[in-house]
Amino acid sequence: MVKTLVIKLCVFFLFVIWGCSNQSSIQQTDISDWSSIDSLSRNTTVHFMMWQGSPAVNKYINSYLIPEVKKRFNIDLQISGGQGPEIVQLLMGEKQADVRSGQVDMVWINGETFFQLRQIDGLWGPFADQLPNARYIDFDDPYIGIDFQQPINGMEAPWGNTQFALVYDSIKLPNPPRTLDELSQFVKNSPGTFTISNDFSGMSMLKSMLAELGGSPTSLNGPFEEQKYQTLSTQLWDWINSHNPYFWKKGETFPREHTKMDQMFASGELLISYGFNEGGIEDKVIQGLFPTSTRGYAWKNGTVHNSNYLGITYNSPNRTGALQVINFMLSPEAQLVKMDVNGMNSNTVLEIDRLPEEWREKFEQATQRQYGPTMKSLAPYSIQEPAPEYMLRLFEDFRKNVIEK
Amino acid sequence: MKSKPTFGLLFFFLLGLLPFVAALIYALLYSLGIVGILSEGASISYWRQVFQSGELIGSFLYSALLAGIGVALSVSLALLVSMGLRTSLQHRFWSLLIYFPLAIPGMVASFLSIQLLSKAGFFSRISMKMGWIDSLQQFPDWINDSYGIGIILTFVLIVSPFFVILFSNVYQNERVSELSTLAYSLGARSNQVFWKVTLPILFSKTKRIMILYFIFLLGSYEIPLVLGQESPQMLSVLIIRELKQFDLKLIPEGYVIAVAYTVVIAVSALLVFRRREVQVHE
Amino acid sequence: MSNIKRLALFFLGLGILFPFAYLAFLSFSGAWFFPEVLPGYFGLKNWKEILSTESDMGFSFFSSLGISLLVATLGTGTGFIWSKSIAYHAQKESWLVLAYFPYMLSPVVLAACLNFFFLKSGLSGTWQGVVLGQYLVAFPYSVIFFQAFWNHRTRQFEQLVLTLGGSSNQAFVQVLLPLAKGMILVCFFQTFLISWFEYGLTALIGVGKVQTLTVKVFLYIKEANFYYGAIACCLLVWPPVILLYLNKRFVYNRLV
Repeated sequence: MVKTLVIKLCVFFLFVIWGCSNQSSIQQTDISDWSSIDSLSRNTTVHFMMWQGSPAVNKYINSYLIPEVKKRFNIDLQISGGQGPEIVQLLMGEKQADVRSGQVDMVWINGETFFQLRQIDGLWGPFADQLPNARYIDFDDPYIGIDFQQPINGMEAPWGNTQFALVYDSIKLPNPPRTLDELSQFVKNSPGTFTISNDFSGMSMLKSMLAELGGSPTSLNGPFEEQKYQTLSTQLWDWINSHNPYFWKKGETFPREHTKMDQMFASGELLISYGFNEGGIEDKVIQGLFPTSTRGYAWKNGTVHNSNYLGITYNSPNRTGALQVINFMLSPEAQLVKMDVNGMNSNTVLEIDRLPEEWREKFEQATQRQYGPTMKSLAPYSIQEPAPEYMLRLFEDFRKNVIEK
Repeated sequence: MKSKPTFGLLFFFLLGLLPFVAALIYALLYSLGIVGILSEGASISYWRQVFQSGELIGSFLYSALLAGIGVALSVSLALLVSMGLRTSLQHRFWSLLIYFPLAIPGMVASFLSIQLLSKAGFFSRISMKMGWIDSLQQFPDWINDSYGIGIILTFVLIVSPFFVILFSNVYQNERVSELSTLAYSLGARSNQVFWKVTLPILFSKTKRIMILYFIFLLGSYEIPLVLGQESPQMLSVLIIRELKQFDLKLIPEGYVIAVAYTVVIAVSALLVFRRREVQVHE
Repeated sequence: MSNIKRLALFFLGLGILFPFAYLAFLSFSGAWFFPEVLPGYFGLKNWKEILSTESDMGFSFFSSLGISLLVATLGTGTGFIWSKSIAYHAQKESWLVLAYFPYMLSPVVLAACLNFFFLKSGLSGTWQGVVLGQYLVAFPYSVIFFQAFWNHRTRQFEQLVLTLGGSSNQAFVQVLLPLAKGMILVCFFQTFLISWFEYGLTALIGVGKVQTLTVKVFLYIKEANFYYGAIACCLLVWPPVILLYLNKRFVYNRLV
């Protein structure tokens, strides 16, 4: 009885190992010959790893992108769930285990993950500027061609464009704070309703504050300078620690993620929230999570403006398929659907002036947002993403000088 | 059939133990900078760094305290329910109903805790309606609080239902009711029967599972992730934070904590069980 | 029955059923701002949104069910058999302490450390890999769990069968299994749940490709929209409850 069971199990595990050790070799890819890419990519499967936490994004992918690439190129687009850290963890693991034919072909990343993937040579390229639809993209735009103060050099293709915005309820808070001085006044008047999340969003808020202390929207541009960081960050920690008692939970702890802040904003515990995608206001109001009086705005000295990108993994087993899909995702039709205010509502990375006449009109006539701020209204208040070292140090020092104090 | 036990133990070793050992060795090598694609050669600097910061010790004590309180409260509550309501729980309806809470995982339980217990949560709204508080700031601080109250409450919510079922089962399996009747007939009072008969039997049969749940809670991740503070953090939260951190060069520190924690628990478990084994063989 | 007991029973029932009801209620709600005790919107909007954007929900559900049933069967079965080898071994306690070791690294951390081996063997991103990974967690649990079953009395029963001329197979099938039925049920249910709710390990080993229901909806619990979070919770919590209800006769047989 026992023995037969063991034998069955052994057979099972052998089957398991046999069943998945068939690895294909990676083909050579020449992007300049698009017609061969086009034919090679047909009837293949592409694995796309992306963040799946928003129904609006999932809807765009599931009911538009997947059927479209199936119809046009007969490509089977498979989505795997995973965002920044998971993508980095997977590719580091695959490098370590010397996996030639990776699990994933393409990834959706932001500047933070791009910086990490560059460190481990996790991406394949350059490819972005050679895509047919790249002609509609202005790679000289510093908010597209430069990611975390480093040129992207074709290693990732821009997909969406976003600015960091603060979120408030215009009924409860008619005049939200736009500077450190105003914020100081605000937290003293309404203690416990403002906080800083200990993640990407919170650090982006700190960057805005740091830039203000630096005296201008461009004060953090250029390579990392230790001296400048030391001076400014000392002032920043002093400011935060002197206002800590007026923060959420008296500044004894901070939310781990900005989603938590959004939840507390939705339930009324916080009066101010913030985040990328211009605060993510539109869909949350439509979903009934935020009140209809919710509005967004930028810091007076500016908030970070950046892009998110699509990359191809260094060990992608189907590069041509990934190229085909990415090229389609940058096409005017795919970008227009992506802009839909009732759908994914994401700003296009295409340069409208470069589009053919018919598309230009469609983009210009697209419905405007009802609640969230437009990119145009925030544009005067944008700052570039500072060098990655600022992020590294802010994370480290925020923990050391504020959280663990 | 003679060969069966050794064969079984071999199987157990292969599937129960080998992966664990492999994982531990991998973590150890990583923590020493021997493997890892960004590794700059073998070094003990990560170990030194972790032990100098003192965060590990704090996190360890914090986790052990919360896990200990969690298990103790859960066991007490479960005893109270399972023994106090024993006859009722044998009813068909209740015997099914007590299984229901097992279907709530840690993540859902923490979600519920936030929705119900946070300052803008359901209970706070009811208190407001009833006029017990005037603003949400007055509602007690139970979520992401300094004392881990939210974490402990949720631990109890997760663990006690299981112990209710376990105690009822063992009570039957070990025929405690017959023994109790015997004790009564010998003139024992109900207090005595509970403390001298029921409790020792239940505890001796389930102590291993209690230890197991202590270890579970010690290493629990989702509940403290959602309900905990940023500092101190429970061990798994701390480890995963280090493993997934932005600065890829510092990832080995996460493995240092994982190895250190595992070794401490393994050694203390061995010591505890060794002593017990000696007692058993007497 | 005394009044105190009746009151206690009432609160117990309320405490058990309230979470399920509240989650369901929240999932139909919207525009529920502090300090309102009742939501501003109540209807099907959230469910429609989630079910229309998440394609293949049915497939995810059945693959989850398949994986969990397999893990629970393998885990409980092998665990029951080998817990006996250990329970009757002379160095029982030493073996047992080894069974605790896999839990000393919590599943998320264990997965992070084991990920390398799964990637190396090519098991990552396959359902077989996910089953193996979850089994590695379920098996030692079941071994430890059944230690409470193997006692002096069961041993005597087994001996009795052998003395009366029965084979050890007969003793196993006709005496031990029926005796252990209640505990096997609990263990099966627990290992099923370990597998059903497993997120960290499944996401890591499955590389997001093995889309179990948990992997699919888990993210919503962490995201900002808690109404969607409540839907995800309902989708996770209700199937095991229904499964339990459908199998209620097993539960009754045990206690009644």
